[in-house]
Amino acid sequence: MGKRFSQGGDGAGAPRKRQRIVHEAPTSEDILASRQLKALLSFDQDPVRARHGLQSFKVYLDVLLQGGDGHEERFTVLTDYLESTRPWGSTAVISSRGEEDEGVDDENQVYLPEIMKTWSHYAQLGNDNIMSAVPVALALLLKLLSQNLALVPFGLGICRTLLHKRQLELISRNLTADKGKAFIISPTLRMLKEAMCFDGGAVARPIFRARASTLKALARNMGIVHIGDEDEQTAKRPSARTNAVSFLLSALKFLHPEAKREILFQRDIVSALTRDIKQDPPYLVAEILNGLRDHVLLDDKVSREAKSNLLSAATLVRISSLYYYRQPAVDESNLPSIADLAHDFLMTACTTPSCGVLRQDTGLYPRETDPDAALPSAELDELGLEAIVWMNRFKTEVPVRNFVLSNFVPNLRPWSSIKQSELVTSIFRVAPELVADFFIHNKSFTFGPKLSTTWIGYAAFLFNTVALPIPANFCRGPAFPELPPPTSIVIDNILPLPLNQKALVRCLAHKSKMVAFFATRILVIAIEKLDVAVRMHQDPSRLNKALWAEAGRRLVDEFCQRSPGIKDMINSYRSISEDDILHREAASRLLRLYYEVIPQVALMAKFDVSPFLETALGRLSKQQLEDPKDLVLSLKELENLLAIAGYSPGMRWFTASEALALSPFTTLVKVFVDAPHGVALTKVRQVLNFVAVEQQLVPAYAGHPGLLPLLESLQSIKQSSPKLIGDIWPFLDNCLTRCANAPIKYLESMQDTIQALGGSSDEGLSEAVISPITMAMLEQLPFVAKAADKAVLRALGQFLPKYLSLSAGAGESTSLLDDLFTKMSAHFFKGLKKAPVTSVADGMGPMDGQEGPATSIPVSSQLDSSVGENITDEALQILLEVPENLAADNSALVKWTNKTVDELVDEGYTTSLIALLVSEHASIRKEALINILKVAAKLKQSDYEEKDQIWLLLSELAETAKGHVDDGPLPSPIVAFAWHALKVLRDPLSSLYPKVNAFLTRGPVWTLDRLPLVDEILTEEPSVGDSYYAQLNWLLTYLLDGLRTPQDLELFHKKRVRGPLLERLLALANNSYMRLPLRTQVMRVVYRATGVAGGSTTLVTRFGIVNWLEAQRLGTKDAKEAGMYKALLRRIWSTCDREKVEKWGGKGVEALC
Amino acid sequence: MSSAQKSTKSTMTDQQVASEFTSYYLSRVTQEFAEDLDKVRAADDFKNDAIQLLVNALQQGTALFSPEEQRRIVAAEAAAEKPTST
Repeated sequence: MGKRFSQGGDGAGAPRKRQRIVHEAPTSEDILASRQLKALLSFDQDPVRARHGLQSFKVYLDVLLQGGDGHEERFTVLTDYLESTRPWGSTAVISSRGEEDEGVDDENQVYLPEIMKTWSHYAQLGNDNIMSAVPVALALLLKLLSQNLALVPFGLGICRTLLHKRQLELISRNLTADKGKAFIISPTLRMLKEAMCFDGGAVARPIFRARASTLKALARNMGIVHIGDEDEQTAKRPSARTNAVSFLLSALKFLHPEAKREILFQRDIVSALTRDIKQDPPYLVAEILNGLRDHVLLDDKVSREAKSNLLSAATLVRISSLYYYRQPAVDESNLPSIADLAHDFLMTACTTPSCGVLRQDTGLYPRETDPDAALPSAELDELGLEAIVWMNRFKTEVPVRNFVLSNFVPNLRPWSSIKQSELVTSIFRVAPELVADFFIHNKSFTFGPKLSTTWIGYAAFLFNTVALPIPANFCRGPAFPELPPPTSIVIDNILPLPLNQKALVRCLAHKSKMVAFFATRILVIAIEKLDVAVRMHQDPSRLNKALWAEAGRRLVDEFCQRSPGIKDMINSYRSISEDDILHREAASRLLRLYYEVIPQVALMAKFDVSPFLETALGRLSKQQLEDPKDLVLSLKELENLLAIAGYSPGMRWFTASEALALSPFTTLVKVFVDAPHGVALTKVRQVLNFVAVEQQLVPAYAGHPGLLPLLESLQSIKQSSPKLIGDIWPFLDNCLTRCANAPIKYLESMQDTIQALGGSSDEGLSEAVISPITMAMLEQLPFVAKAADKAVLRALGQFLPKYLSLSAGAGESTSLLDDLFTKMSAHFFKGLKKAPVTSVADGMGPMDGQEGPATSIPVSSQLDSSVGENITDEALQILLEVPENLAADNSALVKWTNKTVDELVDEGYTTSLIALLVSEHASIRKEALINILKVAAKLKQSDYEEKDQIWLLLSELAETAKGHVDDGPLPSPIVAFAWHALKVLRDPLSSLYPKVNAFLTRGPVWTLDRLPLVDEILTEEPSVGDSYYAQLNWLLTYLLDGLRTPQDLELFHKKRVRGPLLERLLALANNSYMRLPLRTQVMRVVYRATGVAGGSTTLVTRFGIVNWLEAQRLGTKDAKEAGMYKALLRRIWSTCDREKVEKWGGKGVEALC
Repeated sequence: MSSAQKSTKSTMTDQQVASEFTSYYLSRVTQEFAEDLDKVRAADDFKNDAIQLLVNALQQGTALFSPEEQRRIVAAEAAAEKPTST
């Protein structure tokens, strides 16, 4: 406690309590002339008159300071008065630069001599009223003069006069007046403050030099506050403390650093400044905090020691008491609250090194340690960590460098206030040594679970603490020290002491799920932090690797002792309700992290993840989550479980349980397929592929896309026919499970099929491989056909062709798939006998996936001799309608950008771009053209084997299209040719390879009305062996794709040297050596033409198609084929312009139909 | 949702993603722990500024999700609203 000050002249006999002082109200009069003013202020022996004069002056100055009417006249009166009292010999222009110009002004000159005389005289007589009235008037006068530049010299003169010995004695006497006489002390302090601030602190230095008088009793005066029994008017006035603090702050503002230092070293003043700060009015608190921050803390010229002296732990504690400062709830000023100001002040003071509180520590190495000490290697080898004497020393006490903060922080209550929590964690961030120290000394607050705000606040604080990063290299230095940090300190930073095993286990098992949730979250970030710490221990750059490795192991051991066992976590996870997806995600994340970071501990629990995975899959497959965000969150949980399943052996992927109708694997496929568009499922797909390869469901060779064809075909069905997809799952699950249980069986079955086909095909089947799962599907299909479930057959009728098509596109053996398709079709038609055709075989056409070679599977496979001559229109459609390969998919414009060159060529991204050239929209065509050029450029720069030919193809296509994209879609046959030619160029073994290359080298631009390679294939010899029919098939396929619009049809019947193209195609069918598949292909072209506007009429009137069909029908022995011709004729009749046709050929056509 | 909004959603800044994720996280967490939160409100130490403390404590959990994870979750909504044909 500070020394009690003398109570001035009242001596020892003065009463201990402050006396209530009754003031007699002084009289005053209006001042109208300078002479009147001079008379009023001249020395008068009569105290009443003297006081009357001073009071009149005070009122006069008050009015002047307020401004208003007659201001200028009044000001002239004052100026005249000041001029008239100016001491003899003083210059008119007085320097405003204080002491530097002292020589110019005579220091002994007395300004306002009459007032000074009055003050001196009545002070000797002990007249309190006049002792108060003089400084009151002078304070006001200085304030007024400081506002007027012309009068500044007078003000400086008055300030200097105050520093004369005589006046200093008067000031000293006033300042040391009895504590009860605040009416004397306050004006004096006000006057000093005005003098200190005058002209930007011009006389601050001399005032400080006279500190024996000017700072006298400052500490005591800072303790004089309103005692509460004053009348209301008095209580509203600033107290002596307010004036004293303002004076001190203005001194700190205007004084030079050395003077500030001296003031800050006066402990009584510094202490008095903040001792009762929480009792101060808000404006004063704000003034103190802002003043100290601006003029002390952030003043780089003030020494650290001086700042430290101000910011002792006690000061910090007092300022922190402002967190609870009571303020009116509604503050209209929009200023920051006192609590916010105090928070900002403390944040600056405690976390800025230059403020004098924060000291540089060495991270997790306590003060007394030497992390770079050189220990004998023999000792280290023998004793390991035990060779470091301080390694185990800091479990109960941590010597710190930041002792002020260490003393201050325990006074905060971070669990009850966000700001205090922020302050403490910010301090921990800049002084990591304090974390362990703080929790060692604050054992009273435990983490025992209790559902209350305080517990939640504590949990939040601990979360923030654990979330703090580990100091760089543990020591906050540029490199790792030689020796590892004490394990106890590291673990205290990862799982602080309150987070012990007992408390955490209780939290995880607590009946309130929110408590368990908070504990889980803390454990998640703790184990992530442990991961970082362990990795830092394993950094290979250091010398004492063995020592650090031992410390890392010890750290993990310590962590396991503090953290709950994995069984507790599993139990906690098990108890979470299905709807609590956020909680489930956090708990599953925790388990996954355990498996990843400390697998040795996690695996000991022998945790079977299957039931959890099944539950999660079941929930996701039911699609009960309305919000897509919830779905992604649930997927996160699923990904965590999948990761755990990957780490833990014995996951039963193909065993259906009671909980799930399907096996976990199929359910996961279902989740993948059912997920809304745009939800990222990369991890799920990776797991599916991994398991599929492991279980030999798909080939394992590099380059095979794994399960992708299956997933994409399912997704495609999901999009086109969402109702059908549900009927596929049981069949697929059955196939997947069988294949996974006996992959060898299906591999052998595949080998058998290959051998059966050996020699009958052009391709080398010895190298052909397909997915074993496809063999399983073939095996199981008869059972489905036998059951003749309409719905299932309909679904599979859509799914299987698509799947096979995509498998072929993925590089699997086309011949083998071709064979499988034929066999599958047979099973379907067997099923047809029992189920109506129209409902079963919807979409049972060839593959339509753009990525697959859509027509590479012979059409013969779709015809079966068991079907009779009467083919319905629907059946005809199924047999002859081929989906368009050139169907525009605008997304192709962006899809290709991130793909590799191999993917661009082999997975159909380039062909999709090419197809866009037939788009109806000019902008799409232009975009496509630009993108084709970009792809060509990308290819040219790549290492792709066939890059030159493909570049040439794309460039020629672009060159051809360039002048026409604005006019309309490019002719479909041209685009279809490019589409198919690209596939030929990919495969140098193709029989068409030489012809396509020869065509490309012929010229840079193609003629639009001349269809490429038609003559070369139809009339020239096949350049490669016996490949005429294969080439013919290719030609028909591309022409089929190229017949889409009436304009395309014109190209087909345009007169040419060797006759119209369509005529030549029809003539092909007369080749008796040509087999049914190719003839059917011709029929497809005809069928396609019937779908084009005016196509049927043209066929009848220009090509004699009726006779051709009749001739074909009569010429064939195959009843099925004959039925097709008949059905085709019917189709033509139903789609032609009958009036025109009847005009052309009478009723003959109708009669034939 | 208009196409303009959609495109905005797909090109949100990290800050926008964080803010939207925080609001989702808070609504989710208050939904899951509604019962417990009622109990906390009824406890003796629930004072005026406790709500702020509680909200702050609850939303800390967003730190468990990396910016990429947050974007993935926030973007799910926009993606799911797109027509499947595109």
